[in-house]
Amino acid sequence: MSRFDDLIHAPTRLSLVSLLAATDWADFKFLRDSVGLSDSALSKQLTTLEEAGYVEIRKSFVGKRPRTSARLTPQGHTAFTGHVAALQEIVARAGLAVLPQ
Amino acid sequence: MSIPPVDAELALAEIHARRQQVVDTNLVPRWFWVSIAALMLLFVAAVETGAAWVLATGSVVYALGLSALILAMVRHARVQVRPELIGLRGALAIAGFTLVLVAAGIGLGFALEAAGAPFPATLGCVPVCLGLALGGPRLMARLRRIMLARPLAGAR
Repeated sequence: MSRFDDLIHAPTRLSLVSLLAATDWADFKFLRDSVGLSDSALSKQLTTLEEAGYVEIRKSFVGKRPRTSARLTPQGHTAFTGHVAALQEIVARAGLAVLPQ
Repeated sequence: MSIPPVDAELALAEIHARRQQVVDTNLVPRWFWVSIAALMLLFVAAVETGAAWVLATGSVVYALGLSALILAMVRHARVQVRPELIGLRGALAIAGFTLVLVAAGIGLGFALEAAGAPFPATLGCVPVCLGLALGGPRLMARLRRIMLARPLAGAR
């Protein structure tokens, strides 16, 4: 079911959620470097998504190194799927040729 | 909320580009395949010499090398792609690749042994290692195509 999601559509969060939608878990540094945010800015965005129930944050260790990871929750996946469907509908209605599935 | 179609299209392009980024980050690099192949050949050759000190040295080098490779991969694995993106086609490609290499190695090894060739296991392992070193990156390229072709919102 298509549902445009304002929370996801904000440019930085769209990038973050898109990255997370393709992953099981994504490393904090990977997200930071991919989107080009500072640690604090990324934390803020992830917290916003976490408060909406879209993202789960996990802290673990690889060897002795701490690692923070994030993943999309089932609720986040549902919202993302609905948002993609809404975007596709907008594009299809306009009859634009390039339409990723 | 309604947005202009061009903005929606740009958003879809961004989503696709981010998936591509995840997939590209997650692919097993070429050096890993070449290293695994070299280690395997070294180990099989060491076993087949029958010399205790060669076998011991080869085993240690193999164990340390394999551990180092796996550790390097784990340390560099900053992201784990969703298995659903790989899907049945991807799983079949991986299984096919593995089965072909194992069957080729075992079959060739036994055939060479039956023919009385020296070092049959090592010689049988050579095409398997070549298959790993050359076929591994090709398998990754195939998986990449499969993952990028999946619907943007259907990979659950």
